[in-house]
Formats: sequence, structure tokens, C-alpha cells
Amino acid sequence: MRSAYRVLAYVIAAEVVVQAAALAWMFSGLGRWIQDGGVLDKATMEEEGGPLPFPELVGIIVHGINGQVLIPLLGVILLIVSFFARVPRGVVIAASLLGLIVLQVILGMTARGGVPISSMVHGANALLIFAVALLAANRARSEATEPRPSASADVGV
Amino acid sequence: MWGSRRRRIVAGLTGCALLLAPLAWMWQASLVPRSYSVAEMGTPDLGGGAAHAHPDHRVAVPDLTEPGDGTPDVRVRLIARSDTIRLDSGQEMHGLTLNGTSPGPVIRAEVGQLVEVELFNESVTDGTTLHWHGVEVPNAMDGVAGVTQDAVPVGSTFTYRFRPPRAGTYWYHSHQVSHEQVPRGLIGALVVEPRGGLDSETTDLVALVHSYGGTRTVNGATGEIPVDATPGDRVRVRVINTGNGPISAWVSGTPFRLAAIDASDVHRPETVTDRHVQVTAGGRADLELVVPASGARVELSGPSLVLGPDSPAERRPEARLDPLTYGEPAPLGFDPERPDRRFDYAIGRRPAFVRGRPGLWWSINGHLYPDVPMFMVAEKDVVRVSITSRSDVHPMHLHGHRMVVLSRDGQPATGSPWWVDSLNVAPGETYEVAFVADNPGAWMFHCHHLGHAAEGLVAHLMYHGVAVPYRIGDGNVPE
Ligand SMILES: [Cu+2]
Repeated sequence: MRSAYRVLAYVIAAEVVVQAAALAWMFSGLGRWIQDGGVLDKATMEEEGGPLPFPELVGIIVHGINGQVLIPLLGVILLIVSFFARVPRGVVIAASLLGLIVLQVILGMTARGGVPISSMVHGANALLIFAVALLAANRARSEATEPRPSASADVGV
Repeated sequence: MWGSRRRRIVAGLTGCALLLAPLAWMWQASLVPRSYSVAEMGTPDLGGGAAHAHPDHRVAVPDLTEPGDGTPDVRVRLIARSDTIRLDSGQEMHGLTLNGTSPGPVIRAEVGQLVEVELFNESVTDGTTLHWHGVEVPNAMDGVAGVTQDAVPVGSTFTYRFRPPRAGTYWYHSHQVSHEQVPRGLIGALVVEPRGGLDSETTDLVALVHSYGGTRTVNGATGEIPVDATPGDRVRVRVINTGNGPISAWVSGTPFRLAAIDASDVHRPETVTDRHVQVTAGGRADLELVVPASGARVELSGPSLVLGPDSPAERRPEARLDPLTYGEPAPLGFDPERPDRRFDYAIGRRPAFVRGRPGLWWSINGHLYPDVPMFMVAEKDVVRVSITSRSDVHPMHLHGHRMVVLSRDGQPATGSPWWVDSLNVAPGETYEVAFVADNPGAWMFHCHHLGHAAEGLVAHLMYHGVAVPYRIGDGNVPE
């Protein structure tokens, strides 16, 4: 269970990297598309159901699915695992991480609703999630190498 | 040892249960039956009016047709096809066409003429329909799959018959899996001319703006589109926005008037310069101008119409023409201050499950799809609706009726009566609108961002005593 905790925490950290990369990739594609004469306004932003104007737009779709579904799901699973993983303060860390993820989703949502300050905090909070995920992974790793008195009772866990 | 281990497991399982039980319950509660009738969907909202105006009188949607079987004045056959669409830019996409083109042919009729459109589905696998956006058609002709008809399967035909009661700019589009079929091309313009036809002094142009895979087109053409007009000509450009978001239209090189919004003439519109017009998603704006010797352009946020000699494009004017104060007042024909019913249509967004799927979903008056309000009315009711958006832009579209805007954020409308069938409600805005319930049936009242509609931003206006035999699900997917 502890290694599951560790792996999940690493996956969440890696997902933060994917999120940043996907968005940066999308923005460079958008820049090129505009240079080629594309017009970006509300109507273009809301286009759905047809082919993508430029392939890098996949970046924002990836960002959305990852951020709204996959990462929150990983956060919930990490919290569940933490109940059994016996990582010191593991439950608290996993719960905080889930809290930060929920905050991140809300910030992303309000940013998209037209509150630019939310975007700023969204970007900063991403680094916080990254750091806490690494901290969680690290805790689970260092504990694994430290013998503990009750370790004999942990056979099979 | 065992005690502590057991305690830990029990604590862990309790934690899981606390975490998962509400989620499981919310998931379960959000499931919808495989098929359902709109008449049994959502929560009836009487808006402070009577529950049953005509308890004995019942009529079914399929009987709400155009009376009589006269010979049509305008007869059109449209063949819907899964097809390749080629733009003049060289771009190709897999799309949907009507009679081999997208947009489909412009249909023109005069007020009161009998229009008959035969829709044949040759190869649209999901099935299809045609909705006459903005036209007060009889309910059975409204073209909404699962509400006013069944989707037309491949190989079948459906015949629409109606007499358009008001002149103006309209459009038609599929209302089956519309969030895919409309962007992919099942659209076209409908122009209803006054009795006796248009005045011959004015050059009448349709400018149907549609985006094919990110490329914005006007009547299917891209870039700068030359129009056959000479200096001195009076031109009416009927701009139609088929997209999911608002677009801006403006005129370079000469002043213009906003002659009509949706399909209603503006009363005494002033001539303006340095203004842009916002065209709501699904909405229309008729611009009128006289071509100057130096030429003029109608700019449509990307493509433009070039009228007369080639002239320079101007940037979009910062200021927006505000229909709330534009033109001069005129009688409405009813008194919105003494409504029979008052409804709220407050749009929000929150994390939840809808149809078993987690996500951020639209709410109406705090409730999620399918627990959306069903606005109950009786014939001849004067109805007031307060529409608010707390999140994102929503082009709110009421089928079968036109609404008049009374106020925005408490500021009363002081210009020409601002009649709409598609109203752009921006985040934080509240509009008071009113209409007369004069067209019995089951009518969709939804967001015309068709993606939002597919995400559950749909409600219905239901007349008392109307039975709906069609079902959503089982092949009918209106959004
Ligand atoms: Cu919407």
C-alpha cells in the first residue's frame, strides 16, 4: 500500500508537468494559427463539434480532461490509499493535496468564466500541488526504508 | 497488535465510506431513464398562475399543424447527406450538406404564404430534423427530435408545412444531435419577405456566418467577398450567426443603421458610425447602408463583404451599439406590467454528476438536468421571465415565440421595442423579458450554445393540456 501511495503521488506530480506542457503547446499553436489569419473571439472559442482549427488545440482538451477528471480522481484514490498505507501524516498530506486539487479546479473554472486573477493563482497553485505531491511521494519512500517496531504486523499490507 | 490493526482497517474503511458514499449516491441520483417524455421531465413551475386553465381540453403535439391542405406557394425539397465540404481556401472536411451544399439553399417566402419543405435523409446516420429558428410555426413543425417529432432516419422523409406570420431574417438547422450536426453544416437561411415582396430599391443580401473547423465563412465563402453593388445602392445585409458564441459586425467606409434584430424591425433606427453590432449566437442583425462612391465593407470578424469599389478595412469600433437605447419606442401590443406568470431562469454552474458523469454542469435555478424547470403556461398568458447568468455567456433561445426585452440589470429599455428569439446573456447580467403565450405546444427554451444545451442547459415551455407522444432517447437526441 505504501508503494501504491508513493507511485500515485509521483503520478500526480507528473500530471502537473503534463498540464503545464499541454497548455504551453496549445498557446504556440494558437499563435501560429492567428499569424495565418485565424480570428479568435468568443464565437471561435465556443466552437465545438467540427474539426479542430489547429492540431495543438488538443492541448486544451487534454488540460481539461486531466484537470477536471483524471487528477481529482487520482487525488481521491491517493486519499483512500492513505488510510491503509501507514505513511506518517500520509492522510493529512493526501487530504491537503486533494484540497489543493479541488481549489485548482475551481480556480480554473472561474478563470475561464472571466476572472484573470484566478488564472494567476491557478498557475501558482499548480506549483504548490507539484511540491506537495513530491513531498507525499518522498514521505512514503523514506518510511519504507526505516524499520518500525510495528512493521512485523504489516505482513501482507 | 491485532486490535490496532483492526482499528486501523475499520477507520480506513469508514474513511472510504464517508468519501465514496455521497459520491455513489450523487452518481445514482443523476441517472436518467433510457427514454422519457419532456412532459414528465423536470419540475413544473406555474410562475404564480393557475394550475389548469382548460382541464377538459387536451391536444397532442402531432395535431398542432398548419390547418388546411392548400397548394404550397413555396415548395422546397432538401436532401440531407453525409458529405465532403470543400472551402475556397482549399480546406476540406467531412461534414453534412443539404442538396450538396453547406449552407443549404436560401429559402425565400412572403408573409402568409404556405411553405412546404420536404426533408429527405439520404445518409445522415444519426437521423436528422429541421428547426425553423425564430419562426412561429405550429408546434408539430418545430423540428425538435423527441419533442415535436421523431428524428428522420436514413431513407425517410418528413414534410414541414407552415405559413410564416412575420417578415424578417430567419435560419433553419438540424435539431437532432444539433451540437454536432449544426457545426458540421446542416444549416441554411430563410428570408421571409413582406406581402408583395421586397421593395425593389434595396439590394437584399444574406450573410450567413458559419465556421467550418475554425475557418469563418460567409455564405460558405472565406476572406474578402466581392458583392455586386454600385455606389448609390441601398443595401440590406442580413447577418446570421450560426455559431455558439457572439460575433461582432461593423461597417467600414460609411454610416449604417441596424434595421432589424432577429426577425423584428427596429422602430426608427438612427444612423450610426463608430459602433459595432453584437450578433448573438443563433441571432440575426440586418444592417442597412448606402454604398458610397469610395465603396464600403461589412466586416464580420474575419470575412468581409466588399460593396462597390475596393476600400480599406477598418478596425472594429470599440463602442457597441446598445439595442436597449437604440431607436424609438413603439406600442408592444400587450401590457408586460400585468403578467399572468413570472418565471426565473437563473443559470449557474457547479461540480456534480449529470447522467452519471462527473463534471462541472450547468444549473437552472439551482437544479441540474434533468431536474430543470418546466415553465407551465396557458394560452393568452402574458409571461415575464428574469434571465440571469452567473457563469459564462448564454444565448438564450425560446422556440415558437418572440420575447421583448424590458430591462437589463434594472436599466429599463428606452429605445425601440427590442424583440428577440435569441438573447445574449453575459456573465453577471440579468434580463427581464416578456412574451405572450400565443402558440400552444411544447417548446424548448434553451441555450443556443449547442454544446451547453448538450450539457443540459435546456428547459421547456409547456402549455396546459398539451400531450407529448414523442420521447427523448431511443434515437431522439435533440441537443
Ligand atoms: Cu449557454
